[in-house]
Amino acid sequence: MFAGAFMMGAKDRLLSPIIPFRFFASAIVFHVAGWAVLSWGAETALGFVGGTGAVLAALHLITLGVLAMTAMGAAYQMLPVATRRQLGPAWVCSLSWWLFNPGIVLLVMGLAGGWGAALDLGGFLCVAALSLFGLLVARNLLQVTDLPAVTWPAWVAVACLAGLLVLAVLLVLDMDVGLLVNRPAVAAAHALLAGYGFMGMLVVGFSAVLLPMFVLAKPVDDAAGKRVAVIAALALLAGLLGTLWGENLVQGAGSILGLVALGFYFAVQRRVLASRMRKKLEPFFRLLKAGWGLQVLSLLAALALVSGAPAEIMAPLWGWLLVFGWLLSFATGILQRIMPFLASMHSGAKGGKPVLLSQLTSPRLLDIHAVLHLAAVVLMAVALFFDLPLVARVAAFCGLGGAMAFAGFALVMMHVYRAHERST
Amino acid sequence: MVGVVELASRPPQDSPPAWLAMALDQPPLDVRAALAQGEDPLGLLMEAADGVGFGGFLVVDAPFNPSPLRRILAARGFSSYGRCLGSGHWRIYFHLNGAADWEHDSEVALLEEGAMVWREADGLHVDVRKLSPPHPMLAILRLIESTPDLSGLVVHHERLPQYLLPELAERGWCVARVVEEFQDVRLWLERGA
Repeated sequence: MFAGAFMMGAKDRLLSPIIPFRFFASAIVFHVAGWAVLSWGAETALGFVGGTGAVLAALHLITLGVLAMTAMGAAYQMLPVATRRQLGPAWVCSLSWWLFNPGIVLLVMGLAGGWGAALDLGGFLCVAALSLFGLLVARNLLQVTDLPAVTWPAWVAVACLAGLLVLAVLLVLDMDVGLLVNRPAVAAAHALLAGYGFMGMLVVGFSAVLLPMFVLAKPVDDAAGKRVAVIAALALLAGLLGTLWGENLVQGAGSILGLVALGFYFAVQRRVLASRMRKKLEPFFRLLKAGWGLQVLSLLAALALVSGAPAEIMAPLWGWLLVFGWLLSFATGILQRIMPFLASMHSGAKGGKPVLLSQLTSPRLLDIHAVLHLAAVVLMAVALFFDLPLVARVAAFCGLGGAMAFAGFALVMMHVYRAHERST
Repeated sequence: MVGVVELASRPPQDSPPAWLAMALDQPPLDVRAALAQGEDPLGLLMEAADGVGFGGFLVVDAPFNPSPLRRILAARGFSSYGRCLGSGHWRIYFHLNGAADWEHDSEVALLEEGAMVWREADGLHVDVRKLSPPHPMLAILRLIESTPDLSGLVVHHERLPQYLLPELAERGWCVARVVEEFQDVRLWLERGA
């Protein structure tokens, strides 16, 4: 009964490993590409407040290529298992990958060189891919009546995804026909919805599922999870309206509410960690902790920005702390834990002994990644604050080195996994 | 509460009835407070039983094994399965199926995740059905880690716990056999296999 048949009854909820691993492989490639493009135009990050070029291209390689790609791969695999409801046809998941990859490449080419046709087609493909993702997630969430600690933040994330896609379309159209009266405000609202809304709320939702599972702890309490989602949603609404109306006071209220939501989120995670069975936290957690600290700094930077701090310093610093600091640290932390975990799980699907997690990780490469990634985050923040072009370039190269070490870890993991598959 | 170690030394018990999996979803009607205040909850229980259609379920929490109630309801077509969850706490699952298998009992240990543990002829059993993730995985790993001389464990799950596999492998355990029935996926876990 066991051999070969073990996973059969779970087919409705467990995707073929090729689907999540395709997304993760793309994320790893775009991770290297993002840092490489930033290395190419590192000096232009200083004082960056908008406009096409290397910085905007690098930013979208990271946000779409790494963050969204990781979120999609992880959500397709984990959400149906967590909610115990079906996600949707696997071919739709695959289709979103096929649309998203060329979409990102074209969009980034358009953003880097200001090429309208590439921007239009790339934007269309990315919007199509992310819309499919949003529809699949929403379809799954509609079937769930329990698990509010997961579903409430996930619903906020889906709503923010819809909003950011509408604004993205407006921003692309504006480059063609010039329809926006206040383009910087719309771009800032787009960034806010993408960073704190879509990705940030997915982080909150994933934290309620993945972290208790990885540290073997009790799940997030329903009431506490709802509280975080509601306060964060109010913060997002205030931030969005304040940005679009140009009202600093409302924007400031959004930042403060965001900090309050973060405080409750930290309290929730602290309770999770306090109840954990796995006493020693694994190395991936250092990136999560760093990311949480950088999240606080990003909200403080946002508060400083609306309080009158110079935009040419604080705006790029805010974006840096938000995307490369918090979200990229969190995403690479989760990736380095979830990839070996899924590989081990799928390696046991045929009934043989699964390959051990410890055999699938490369601690030295992950150490190199962590050191270089965090060095890059700190050095670039210093460069942006003190206007130091050389330090900005060194920071970008550190990030590139870290991304290559991370890619090395993924290659070693896939080599071990495939060798195990061939031997069974 | 009966301890897991203490339970392992007791005589083996019968397997729970197959219909139990479907009854686990039902919220229990707790009559312990009413009985503590000297009230007779029989009317309330009969009213609740009247509302159960054929094939339906009723779950009752009581401070003792309510044998008279179980016999009364058996006469009305209810099978029942009782679990002693601890001192002064019994949970009785009733199923209106013509009293086909009218009365079973089991003494179980209740883990902090809500999983029930008992001993049968083939070893220790744990029922993690209807628990939200990651409670099933926590309960199974807690049992394995806290019982060093345990060499096998039978898990009653409602699905195949894919995410458990890597954790079991890290601890030198594996799934030796699986039997899938409706709402009862049984996994025989073995140490060092």
